[in-house]
Amino acid sequence: MDESMVMVSASPHIREARSTTSIMGDVLIALLPAAVVGIFNFGFHAYLLIMACVVGCMVFEALIQRIFGKKITVRDLSAAVTGLLIALNLPPEFPIWMALIGCAFAIIVVKQMFGGIGQNFMNPALAARCFLMISFVGSMTRFTYDGITTATPLATLKAGGSVDLLSMFLGNEAGTIGETSAAALLAGGIYLLLRRVINIRIPFFYLISFSICIFIYALTAGNMCVYDAGIFLAAHLLGGGLILGAFFMATDYATSPITAAGKVVYGVLLGVLTFILRIFGASAEGVSYAIIISNLLVPLIEMCTKPKAFGAGFESKPLSENRGFVDKKEEKDKESTMRVTVAICIIGLVAGLALGTVYFVTKGPIEKTAEKNKQASYEKVFPEAEEFVSAEDISMDTANARIEELGASGVTLDEIVYAKSGGETAGYIVIVTTHEGYAGDIQMALGVDLNGVITGLTMLSIGETTNLGMEARDDPSFAAQYVGKPVDSFTVVKTEPANENEIKAISGATITSNAVTNAVNTALLYIHDMLGGAGNE
Amino acid sequence: MALFTFKGGVHPDDGKKLTMDKEVIEYVPKGDLVFPLSQHIGAPAKPLVKKGDRVVVGQKIAEAGGFVSANIHSSVSGTVKAIEKRLVPGGGKVESIVVENDNLYEEIDFSKNIRPLEELYREDVIDIIREAGIVGMGGAGFPTHVKLSPKNESEIDTIIVNGAECEPYLTSDYRRMLEEPEKVVVGLKIVINLFEHARGIIAIEDNKKEAIRLLKEMTKDEEKIQVNVLKTKYPQGAERQLIYANTGRYINSKMLPADAGCIVHNVDTIISIYEAVIEGRPLISRVVTVTGDCIEDPRNFIVRLGTDYQELIDAAGGFKTEPAKVISGGPMMGKALFSLNVPVTKGSSAILALSRDAVAESEPSDCIKCGRCLEICPGRVMPSLLCDYAEAGDLEQFVKNHGMECCECGCCSYVCPAKRHLTQIISGTRKVVLAQKKG
Repeated sequence: MDESMVMVSASPHIREARSTTSIMGDVLIALLPAAVVGIFNFGFHAYLLIMACVVGCMVFEALIQRIFGKKITVRDLSAAVTGLLIALNLPPEFPIWMALIGCAFAIIVVKQMFGGIGQNFMNPALAARCFLMISFVGSMTRFTYDGITTATPLATLKAGGSVDLLSMFLGNEAGTIGETSAAALLAGGIYLLLRRVINIRIPFFYLISFSICIFIYALTAGNMCVYDAGIFLAAHLLGGGLILGAFFMATDYATSPITAAGKVVYGVLLGVLTFILRIFGASAEGVSYAIIISNLLVPLIEMCTKPKAFGAGFESKPLSENRGFVDKKEEKDKESTMRVTVAICIIGLVAGLALGTVYFVTKGPIEKTAEKNKQASYEKVFPEAEEFVSAEDISMDTANARIEELGASGVTLDEIVYAKSGGETAGYIVIVTTHEGYAGDIQMALGVDLNGVITGLTMLSIGETTNLGMEARDDPSFAAQYVGKPVDSFTVVKTEPANENEIKAISGATITSNAVTNAVNTALLYIHDMLGGAGNE
Repeated sequence: MALFTFKGGVHPDDGKKLTMDKEVIEYVPKGDLVFPLSQHIGAPAKPLVKKGDRVVVGQKIAEAGGFVSANIHSSVSGTVKAIEKRLVPGGGKVESIVVENDNLYEEIDFSKNIRPLEELYREDVIDIIREAGIVGMGGAGFPTHVKLSPKNESEIDTIIVNGAECEPYLTSDYRRMLEEPEKVVVGLKIVINLFEHARGIIAIEDNKKEAIRLLKEMTKDEEKIQVNVLKTKYPQGAERQLIYANTGRYINSKMLPADAGCIVHNVDTIISIYEAVIEGRPLISRVVTVTGDCIEDPRNFIVRLGTDYQELIDAAGGFKTEPAKVISGGPMMGKALFSLNVPVTKGSSAILALSRDAVAESEPSDCIKCGRCLEICPGRVMPSLLCDYAEAGDLEQFVKNHGMECCECGCCSYVCPAKRHLTQIISGTRKVVLAQKKG
């Protein structure tokens, strides 16, 4: 033996083959099915987004580590995992430059500024998602499927519509690139469990507690029968980012508790929070915020669930209390876990109650403001009237059925208001919503006089692209085109209008222009129908 | 039947197939033999011979230096060449008696030591065991007569023979159970009879099917002895985990097995007790597994204590390839050697020569907080957290978070995907804390 060549070190002398790189590699493999389904579903742009995010994150990490003078650790693949997760959390048509801003935020601000791998207090991919959501809400909430802008199944569910469970399971639905196919995500999740990369506790307790909450909610507040509640629950489980979140993001090592009991508490907390956010929140989705909020509680959960060392405290007990299962069955010490679970649930409940209180306290003023705004817009679209009375004699269900009979689609009549002048009805105000906007619904108020001529048009709620679709609200000359023209319906043209019934489209926002025009036409159709076609006499 | 086990632990590649089926063969040393005066826990032994004296096999050459100490006997006949500091497997230099081998192997008459069993009282048996210089042969080297004299003698109800042999590569205990099962059973019966309420358990991991079958067969009529089959995993043979697995009782770092009514003996120790009481032979030999992927012909040897490691490796055909690391003991808790000229001591269970050193091949990186170390820790402490405190020098938090409960089994370093040296840092910090307590 060449004694100068032999290695000497303290025991143990062997190491498991698994390394940080192999773990991250396993996560990438597990995400592959979801990524492939996403690319297959949403096309080439989805592929570009995935590649851009993965490469972008790795480049940003190398760059920032270079600048900070730290060891470059891109080879551990953790940046690639973050990149892939960011991409899978983006809508398929999301602009690449925005995605790269998200990647930079995730890697530089959330991960490296706090000390790099294992030190980040928040899941970088989810932080990026929320960052992008706040910065580019339009692009982040525009979901297309087969080239058509559609609502995600979860949004449909929230609006009270019905969904197709099978296509949700397989992934033939609108959504972010990676979240649509529950089947692909579950395959990846099972791979991670089998490879022992993740522990079952977090996803299990997350999904179970969420299911219990949803099921009870559906049975009680939702007034559903058991079968319907089951369908509702299945739709919630399959829809949105729940599976992606439960298996791939809630289990992120750095931002989830390492203690066994902590994992249970964390899972339950996630389930309850997701339930609250999805059902009572403003948006249909709640997974990312639930995980991010829970991330912040992880240090607390870990502190409270530190395991008891093997045999701790037995040195001061008499032998009779350390009889093990020779004399009696071992009593499991579950007390501390219970305490923490109860504490966390109480925190959750208090937070929920606080949210509810804020909601009720602000409900009145908000409604008052809304009412005031409504009155203001009524005056704007029907300047000649002094008084506005809601038409309680007209059932909106019948009205909507009638316009459907007349061949209208994509539009819902929300409210009809009598515009009165000197006590006499001088015309109508129609509140109408089109579902064909570029970024979702557009609600508008329309004044029509007894001759069926539009007296004014204003947008009530609109979330279209700034400088394009938003011009429908921001440029008064667009709405002015509809006013004072005794026509039955309008058509959109891209050139200067030659006839009275022609509306010049907003440049670059044909979809918005068409949607608004269609809504106006439907409202006119209904009013003309109501007036018995006497409008133009 | 459900297997006896504990929570945590790891499953390293056990490497036992190299020597599992190799019969124990005797190796007779040619060169000088070295007897370190401290190869047990406690005070070093005091030499009874001086340079130039002639000694024979079985002669007591050093006597216990206190109650917690052990006698040392010569395993060879020859002349005392020197009493000087010599390197031992643990890495330090220890005062040792060096005997020049005359290759005659002249023995004292062991039969003179034998007394009929029925005439022996409890004290006599413990006396014989003390006289024979028997210590725990699993590695720690705690003097056996001390273990057998607990304060709460009447509370001892379980004697466990540790046949788990959970360290990878080691097969010496397995071979002994296979080849000398009657010595294990009788040795255990001797110990059981020292305690009024005791029963015996022979605990064997379920990867040693043949030994389980054999010992079950031999103990089927023994009312007080049962064979427990343990789940195969490391560190199933660690004292605290072994006691828990077999009885459900806990002991921590501040307690002795006797505090839980248990006494645990290694297989080699039990056989030594048998040989001392029945055959009158002191502890002068043990079984050593010489193995690893660098050894030409891996084997189990019965070796005279004091034999040079180099001689044993040569007896196993020498190195097939140049080793990257040579370890005294198993890969999880053994000591890396920087010289092969060290003697076999009472605690030497194996010599392991590996062609690859996993420690040198992997560089530690940042903790990714995966929690694997916590998941597998048999001591149920939080290795990654302890390591953070240790690195920050926060000894108070280290102790508060049960740092002293670590048994240094090595599982955390083994599983860590970031390849942090968790066990090494924690064990180093424990030594600092202990030193501060003493100081």
